[in-house]
Amino acid sequence: MLFLQLVINGLQLGAIYALTAVGFSLIFGATKVFHVAHGAAFTIAAYLFWWIFTVLHIAWPVAVLAAVVASVVFGLAMERFIYRPIQRHEGAFFTVFIAAFGVQIIIQNLTGSVFGRGFASVTTSLSHSVEVLPGLFVAPIAWISLLIALVVFTALSLYLSRTHTGMAMRALSENPDLIRVFGLDPGRVAQCAFGIGSAMVVPGAILTSMTAGLNPAIGAHVMLISLAATIVGGIGSLRGAACGGFLLGLAENLALWRLDPQWSEAVTFVVLFLFIIFRPSGFFGRPQAAK
Amino acid sequence: MSDQQDILLQVTGVAKTFGGLKAVDDVTLALRAGIVTTLVGPNGAGKTTLFNLITGQLVPDRGEVVWLGNSIVRLPQWKIARLGIGRTFQDLKLFSHMTVEENVTTVTERGSWLWQPGGAAAKAARRSSVEAALEATGLKDKRHARAIDLAFAERKFLSLARVMASGARLWLLDEPASGLDPGSYERFLSLLRNSVRGGVTICIIEHNLDIVQGISDRIAFLDQGRLLAEGEPKTILSDPALAAIYFGERAA
Amino acid sequence: METYIINLLVLISINAILAVTLNFILGYAGIFSIAHALFFGVGAYAATFAAMKLGLDFTGATAFGMLLAALISLALALPALRVRGEYFVAASLGLQMLAITVFTEWKSVTGGIGGLTNIPPARIFGFTLTQPEHYLVLSLACLLAIILIIRALVRSSFGRSLKALRDDEAAASAFGKNVSVIKTSAVVLSSALAAVAGSLYASYLSFINVESFVLETSIQLMAMVIIGGTATLFGPVVGAVLIILLPAGLSYIPHLPATEIGSIQQIIYGLAMVLLMIFRPGGLWGFQENPKAHA
Repeated sequence: MLFLQLVINGLQLGAIYALTAVGFSLIFGATKVFHVAHGAAFTIAAYLFWWIFTVLHIAWPVAVLAAVVASVVFGLAMERFIYRPIQRHEGAFFTVFIAAFGVQIIIQNLTGSVFGRGFASVTTSLSHSVEVLPGLFVAPIAWISLLIALVVFTALSLYLSRTHTGMAMRALSENPDLIRVFGLDPGRVAQCAFGIGSAMVVPGAILTSMTAGLNPAIGAHVMLISLAATIVGGIGSLRGAACGGFLLGLAENLALWRLDPQWSEAVTFVVLFLFIIFRPSGFFGRPQAAK
Repeated sequence: MSDQQDILLQVTGVAKTFGGLKAVDDVTLALRAGIVTTLVGPNGAGKTTLFNLITGQLVPDRGEVVWLGNSIVRLPQWKIARLGIGRTFQDLKLFSHMTVEENVTTVTERGSWLWQPGGAAAKAARRSSVEAALEATGLKDKRHARAIDLAFAERKFLSLARVMASGARLWLLDEPASGLDPGSYERFLSLLRNSVRGGVTICIIEHNLDIVQGISDRIAFLDQGRLLAEGEPKTILSDPALAAIYFGERAA
Repeated sequence: METYIINLLVLISINAILAVTLNFILGYAGIFSIAHALFFGVGAYAATFAAMKLGLDFTGATAFGMLLAALISLALALPALRVRGEYFVAASLGLQMLAITVFTEWKSVTGGIGGLTNIPPARIFGFTLTQPEHYLVLSLACLLAIILIIRALVRSSFGRSLKALRDDEAAASAFGKNVSVIKTSAVVLSSALAAVAGSLYASYLSFINVESFVLETSIQLMAMVIIGGTATLFGPVVGAVLIILLPAGLSYIPHLPATEIGSIQQIIYGLAMVLLMIFRPGGLWGFQENPKAHA
């Protein structure tokens, strides 16, 4: 029964990881920007939701909407004011990475100064566990997480397969030269990718505030998870990033069978490292020769 | 000419597909020692991909690449380079933040460790091949300039200087003359002729038919990944069917 | 006052060692490590262990720390660098986070969250360092030695190979550079030299705990390199001076709550990184070492 409990907890956490990682992967695929400030969008969305809902006591739909708007604006602003100017004069991985990392540091510390450095969490009746089977406790939030992940991924795959911009994004992650074939403005596609990718942190951010709770340094953790899931799934594959997220969530929880919770990042690292050694192209990635 | 011993590099039945697109489709081609073989064909014919398959940057889906009797098809890129196959790139790929001299020096240094084998004698030999390459390409006065600060023609010559100094026996040159002014052009052609006289074998991708006629000993014609014809320049260039493919594409 | 200045100078030298060694991989080889503080920590804990449990003197303890750091970095770099640059970023971030847990949890060696106290002063060739001035001499000597080593490496064929693969990896392999071997050796060298700083730090403070080796430290080191200027010999030293003096400078600003100083520092690093990347990607000291300007 403990095993089943851990699997369910793992799937719940995995859903959150998968949503975040797919957002990162979508942005990377369509724009080739290694957006390590993705964790900052997560932090902003999570804290804004927490503040509006728990501190200001305003109804949750308002808080959710505010979180979505904030993360999308953040993503678009990053693209417009940081990445685009840098790529105009030197598109090096180096420069983009450092700037994004700088933003991540700023947001993390501003969050600490504004909202406090302590632990913040949202309590609702949804997080109370119910005994569904003898010895098996599941909170409604677990089902909600999985349901949201299902809905978001379905919507995303419809968008990517049915709309012109969506198809362009998918094609771009395979071959960046294709942008001209689609007759699209690269700036527009980048804006769409950043908007959608950033919005995808919101469910994860809100669910995390209701389950594990928040701290200002959570962005670094989200960054690690996003990078790890993207690599485990195979760089450039959205399906892979989703599976990678679920795998990491499961691995982290199943490890609790033997390990204390403080080792969760160690588990993430071990999974990432095993993939780098034995299957560097990830689940679905095509084998890639060392460049 | 047809003597087996003359063949430096033999490509047999090589194929490479990218997501359904046959970039190189069952190409068989021999590069004979001491001559210039030119690859011609419309854009997207698979010429650069063929270079990438020979140098190990890409691994063919099928087929064999044999260098002096030994298969090199699955060797890592750096090992293939050290066998004596050098190349230039269409987008040059210079070491942009290094000086001209460093660009050329570093390709003469093959060891991966902290020191180079061979001691002072080898060092002097490397030095002199760097000097020779800088001399031949006219970059002596620019030796301390960074590659990124060079003029266009100078950058093209630097990419040639690199392959010269690397000591490669086979040079795969990817459109090395495109965009050069007529003056640089002549210098470039005589540089190639001198190198061939010095024992180098060249395989060159070129669009300009004057250059093709000027230096080719053999011509290989590729279209849509397939080798359509291979032979003497006169035969290939006077073939009306090939001209139609070539100029048809050019005109479009 | 004098001890205060000497203390600052020792800390600057130790941080300059870390910045210079990080710049060796970041600036010259274009390899991003977010785990440099980890090798600093490995050097500190291992040298302390060697000094307290094995009775080694400073040189022996430092060598022990360097060896351990080299082995750990080899295990990280060999697989991660074989594939692509992004993998190393992710793997080093993961390793840094893992290291924080190990430093906190492996109580028998690291002393857990409380850390290790009463670390014996450095003994070198029979001489025991007791005064801060002694440590200033030792850390400056180490810094100088490391700068000279890196200067020699950068100007050697190895340095040219590093810069070549930083500028264009495809061209470097096409000219016979074994990219993964070269990158891995660079990471191993850099990590081993960073461990020297750890050994100095532990014996100077006679107290270490996990706080000094966390992700924030790695970020601070990265900021030193970037603000000072990558791929220059002295840029990172300038960066280390600026960043170590920053908290001292901030303390002159009135009405600044003490609890916020750490955050404000980090925000300044972050802002500096962002603004420099947009407006002056070469850092304050200039982008590339001009071989004629300071030969």
